[in-house]
Amino acid sequence: MSVIATPTRQSTGGISARTVNRIVIYGLLALFALFYLMPLFVMLVTSFKTMDEIQNGNMLALPQAPTFEPWLKAWGETCVGLTCAGIKGYFWNSIKMVVPAVLISTLLGALNGYVLTKWRFRGHTLVFGLMLFACFIPFQSVLLPMATILGSLGRFGVTLRNATGFSFGLGNPTVNLVFVHVVYGLGFTTLFFRNYYEAFPTELVKAAQVDGASFFQIFRRIMLPNSMPIFVVTVIYQFTNIWNDFLFASAYAGTGDAMPMTVALNNVVNTSTGVVEYNVNMAAAMIAALPTLLVYVVAGRYFVRGLMAGAVKG
Amino acid sequence: MAFLEIDGLRKRFGSVEILKGIDVDLEKGGFLVLVGPSGCGKSTLLNTIAGLESITEGEIRVDGRTINDLHPSKRDIAMVFQSYALYPNMTVAGNIAFGMEMRGVPAHERQKAIDKVAKVLQIGHLLQRKPSQLSGGQRQRVAMGRALVRDPKLFLFDEPLSNLDAKLRVDMRIEIKRLHATTGTTIVYVTHDQIEAMTLATKIAVMRDGEVQQFGTPAEIYNNPTNLFVADFMGSPAMNLIPATIGGNGNALSVVLQREAREPISLPLADAPTGLSAFHDKPIIFGVRPEALTDPEGAERNASNIATADCHIEVVEPAGSDTFAVTNLGGKAVVARLRADANIQPGTSTPLAFNLTKAVFFDPATENRIL
Repeated sequence: MSVIATPTRQSTGGISARTVNRIVIYGLLALFALFYLMPLFVMLVTSFKTMDEIQNGNMLALPQAPTFEPWLKAWGETCVGLTCAGIKGYFWNSIKMVVPAVLISTLLGALNGYVLTKWRFRGHTLVFGLMLFACFIPFQSVLLPMATILGSLGRFGVTLRNATGFSFGLGNPTVNLVFVHVVYGLGFTTLFFRNYYEAFPTELVKAAQVDGASFFQIFRRIMLPNSMPIFVVTVIYQFTNIWNDFLFASAYAGTGDAMPMTVALNNVVNTSTGVVEYNVNMAAAMIAALPTLLVYVVAGRYFVRGLMAGAVKG
Repeated sequence: MAFLEIDGLRKRFGSVEILKGIDVDLEKGGFLVLVGPSGCGKSTLLNTIAGLESITEGEIRVDGRTINDLHPSKRDIAMVFQSYALYPNMTVAGNIAFGMEMRGVPAHERQKAIDKVAKVLQIGHLLQRKPSQLSGGQRQRVAMGRALVRDPKLFLFDEPLSNLDAKLRVDMRIEIKRLHATTGTTIVYVTHDQIEAMTLATKIAVMRDGEVQQFGTPAEIYNNPTNLFVADFMGSPAMNLIPATIGGNGNALSVVLQREAREPISLPLADAPTGLSAFHDKPIIFGVRPEALTDPEGAERNASNIATADCHIEVVEPAGSDTFAVTNLGGKAVVARLRADANIQPGTSTPLAFNLTKAVFFDPATENRIL
């Protein structure tokens, strides 16, 4: 009797307790979500308001006469420092710097991971350990040494140009930034790919060897096509980091034509002539954030899947 | 000169010796099975033949050509892996043709070769699928197709059936045997399953701890094991290995088996191996396979030396095709294989016939066969 009675009592009591739990949990989650979304909301509504409305109205109020004017101004007319041609040039600067940096660091990371798991050599754990160590080096500590190296490279570029008429991009601030981000990102990309390839069946590599595929043929035909999840994870991670980077960008390309988006945005906000155009500033900030948002929306589902794949498969 | 010759092969990983001097050879069209418990070095040996592992010492020759230092793709071999190792990003056709593609075979010739292999293995309808859309047995076929299409001198199989369920394993075993019979290829096959070894092989190498314990035909291995390990490893149910002593005198030796709470059994030996007289009154291991220990009516009619003794039956296991009876001799559980309809009850005594022409004797100190 009691054996039958207990579970029914428990289950009826359990449901209501669980409902309360759910309400509390979802309530808290909603509250935190609201809290985090608040700044974004303010940015978004402000960027569609006129300056009059901003100065006289409530910060949280919806725009009464929504206008794209601030966005257009931010893109094409606003002043960055002394030049007033909008942020569009700097947006393309960032794209020109981020795309090669992400692709090169990801491919090199994949190659490192491939060698460290499938073509092991004496001391491979030490090499991997040192690469891991690179993940923990603070940005600030490499600023000056890197500046020295970039300076030397620049001088070498001048010598090259004098000798051959072509500098091979050495000394170009965009190339410098690509170089810095590739070097700095290599630790992370190697870590991602090594852990993914650690669980990658070695028999596939052996089978390809018997089939006569070379080192790079195996990499291109067998490893890369089967690395989609970790490839997406690495690209998202690298893209976000490099796009958002301000320190390296301001240190090595802080002035001049190659200035990336993050530095330009800072200069837009800091331009101290006349009245502070909050709506234009917000629109510029939104434009600066859009590419990373886009990458997450397009590839986000792979992101979670990729992180899981490495964790669960033995 | 044999087709595949392995001479004094050694493999060391640091200070650990994995293979301790392997000498094996195989005739053209032969089927060599490397069998042994896990960790005995059989897969390592196969990998050294494939060229996926380097060797420390010794020589491997295929068709008279030394292949020690050749790259795997230059050895004219094909390998079927335990996990099949199908490339997940390619279709079945792509998988089969990958090796040819790497060797630069033109597309129309590749297609011809794929069609031929697909016909042999009946996988024509699967060619455009990805490996993830195939069942275990189909993957196995594709893996074999990838090996077959190369038309190599030597096929290497690394435990190809161990991932299949029991019924499919038997089907694929027959398929491999048929393939070997029809194509006449030379095969080296690694397994830990002694039934696969017995049914497929023309030659078996039983391995333990990096050494070949015995190398011979399946019948030799089964009937004349050279030591206790081989006797115990090959055969299912395993051979009964009973501690015993040698009694009798001069020309008429006998095996004395202790029984619980009864006088010992003494089995007269008609044609004992000559080495056995040195063990008079000494302990030996008496080996008799379950099928050589049966009910008197079921005993082999034309065996020259059959001795019958009463045994106390402890357990009866009807297995359908046979009935297994467990008795206790020399302090060990001993399995006898009786006819399926043998009328036998546990807890009773019943006469069992020992076929002593099939019996073997081992020295307990060296574990080697007494001849």
